[in-house]
Amino acid sequence: MSERITIKQVPLEELVITPGSACQGCGAALAARLAFKALGPNTIRHSIPACPDNVTRTPTSGGEFEAGGDHVTGTWRALKALGREDVQVVGFYGDGGVYDIGFQSISGAAIRNENVFIICKNNEAYMNTGGQVSGATPQFAMTTTTPVGPMSRGKPHSRKNTPMIFAMHGVPYVATASVAFPTDLIAKVQYGKGIRGFKFLDILSPCPTGWRFDPSKTIEVARLAVQTGFWPLYEIIDGRKFRLNYKPRELKPVAEYLKLQGRFRHLSEQEIEEIQRSVTEYWERLLKLDEIGEILI
Amino acid sequence: MEHKSFEVMTGNKACAWGVKLSRVQVASIYPVTPQTTIGEYIAEFIANGELKCELVNAEGELATQAIVKAASRVGARTFVCTSGPGQLYMHHPMHGTSSGRLPVVMATVHRGNKGMQPDHTDLMSQLWTGWIQWYCENNQEVLDSVIMAYRTAEDKRVRLPIAIGYDGYILSYTSEPVEIPDQASVDEFLPPYEPIPNILPDKWAEAQRGRGAGMMEGFMSGGGDPQAAWRIHHEAILNSKEVIKEVNEEFGKRFGRKYGNGLVEEYRTDDAEAVVVAMGTIASTARVAIDRMRSEGKPVGLVKLKTFVPFPTEDFQELGKRVRAIGMIDRNVCLGLGGAGFGELRRALYDLDERPKVLGFYAGLAGAEVRVRDIEKMAEKTLKAARGEKVDPIVEWAKLGGGG
Repeated sequence: MSERITIKQVPLEELVITPGSACQGCGAALAARLAFKALGPNTIRHSIPACPDNVTRTPTSGGEFEAGGDHVTGTWRALKALGREDVQVVGFYGDGGVYDIGFQSISGAAIRNENVFIICKNNEAYMNTGGQVSGATPQFAMTTTTPVGPMSRGKPHSRKNTPMIFAMHGVPYVATASVAFPTDLIAKVQYGKGIRGFKFLDILSPCPTGWRFDPSKTIEVARLAVQTGFWPLYEIIDGRKFRLNYKPRELKPVAEYLKLQGRFRHLSEQEIEEIQRSVTEYWERLLKLDEIGEILI
Repeated sequence: MEHKSFEVMTGNKACAWGVKLSRVQVASIYPVTPQTTIGEYIAEFIANGELKCELVNAEGELATQAIVKAASRVGARTFVCTSGPGQLYMHHPMHGTSSGRLPVVMATVHRGNKGMQPDHTDLMSQLWTGWIQWYCENNQEVLDSVIMAYRTAEDKRVRLPIAIGYDGYILSYTSEPVEIPDQASVDEFLPPYEPIPNILPDKWAEAQRGRGAGMMEGFMSGGGDPQAAWRIHHEAILNSKEVIKEVNEEFGKRFGRKYGNGLVEEYRTDDAEAVVVAMGTIASTARVAIDRMRSEGKPVGLVKLKTFVPFPTEDFQELGKRVRAIGMIDRNVCLGLGGAGFGELRRALYDLDERPKVLGFYAGLAGAEVRVRDIEKMAEKTLKAARGEKVDPIVEWAKLGGGG
């Protein structure tokens, strides 16, 4: 499991080139900044279409949207063949590339236990193309392809539980993180970096433009996602050992998180209650896993 | 005199031998008939310690292509293979491989797009992907072509991926005697591959930082000209003809076999009034047909078209000045447009002041058997056209397998 670090232990080196192409308050740009501090310069970053197109000082290998898991596989195997196993192979992809179109490829890399690190800058929709619904979009969220109207209440289905799906591949390391918890995020990247095999980190990265909130509130929104249990922080070793990294005595009401965002503005009290029930129920399940420290399947 | 080693082997095994002798470092495979056994042979070579290679059993052909593309970019010599539907499925990353100017070598064991049987529609469907395309006639040519393909693709004047097509079943699962070149000679012929640019973190030039390697050649090298990515790529393929010829010559000097001039191979075209053009295994059958007709005193010849992309325009223009009619045998059809070979041949000859007649024959599609007498009929018709007789239609679906 990752070891707690203090803010003083965060590496000073910046590997992200600024200014990038990100909007003000971009959570995903911050995710890149934090993750690459921990990854360090001896890294090949792989990119697929994603928002923002984060630019790092590391070498970058670009490729097809649907083949994120294959790009890192090819790079890792070549490094192995060339005797350069010291280089970190990282796929820094969005939720569309991980949850949806590239899911098969990343599942392939996971089940082959390729020595790669997939980091998902998860902004819960296709923000690069203007905010269309993705497998990571939460239920009821308004997107450009799940609009709100007399016949529609936003996204009709719940999001895909991708971290758990990758954990069930039995890979060495799966974790969730948030840009509002930088030391937790960096500790997880540092821990994953030391493991040989497949690593997956899902970073909730609020998008002011797509989620419709004021760009000054990115950290507040990201923090509330965790504090309300909407985005729990946890890590899983070998698809079995489980730990919750953030356990408040009491969760904040999920309404506090939802009400900051325009994408949830249309929600009725009943719908908010429905979301609350589902978040609470899932949180209680995670607490049980945390108590026994293991996923018993 | 070096020892010569022969083995009776299928086309797929010959292909795997080419991979082994070329010391491929990363290969990625996925099952689809009729190419599947190439991957099995490679896996066996690795399991027996005869080949040191990272073999990725991928989750589909889109994956196999994307994997070798990434591995080639890092600096490994890579191989991938497919057939029919798998070829169609990997279309998208094939563009990325060629736009990245990565010297991946791929075997396409032909299986047509309608059904299981062989024709060239699978690889012909990829004509727009910017790959060099070769078509092979027999198992020996398959093995030799794999080695020649790495030498050509990795040449710094080329840096393009090469697809090697050979007919499924007819070669893939049919055994023929094949000479296996010795490893030391192949090693001399084929120097190690060096990637451009080198994207390892300690080799990555300061000037390239922050830019995607895939973007480098494709989008950013045009000095502001938005068309440059297409123009440079197109010209690179056209310019590869000289290297293809050179590699074919050198291979011939070293191993005692070559394939025409690397682009086309002419057979009994001296004093020919008419020639037929054939690709792949049909060329083998055509040789026999031409021999028969020559023995009857008929002035006909054959051109085997090996390199379809880049199209050997100059060779056909030169031929066009010598013969009166050319019959193109297409084992493909671009639906609603026509045979790919027929179209390219007419395009190549249009600028001649005096053009030969160009006839088209569809033959061997969906695995239809093409016999010696079928080709004789096509050559007879072409000879008639050469002698000024009216032939109708100009393009026909060859009636195959009839009596006579």
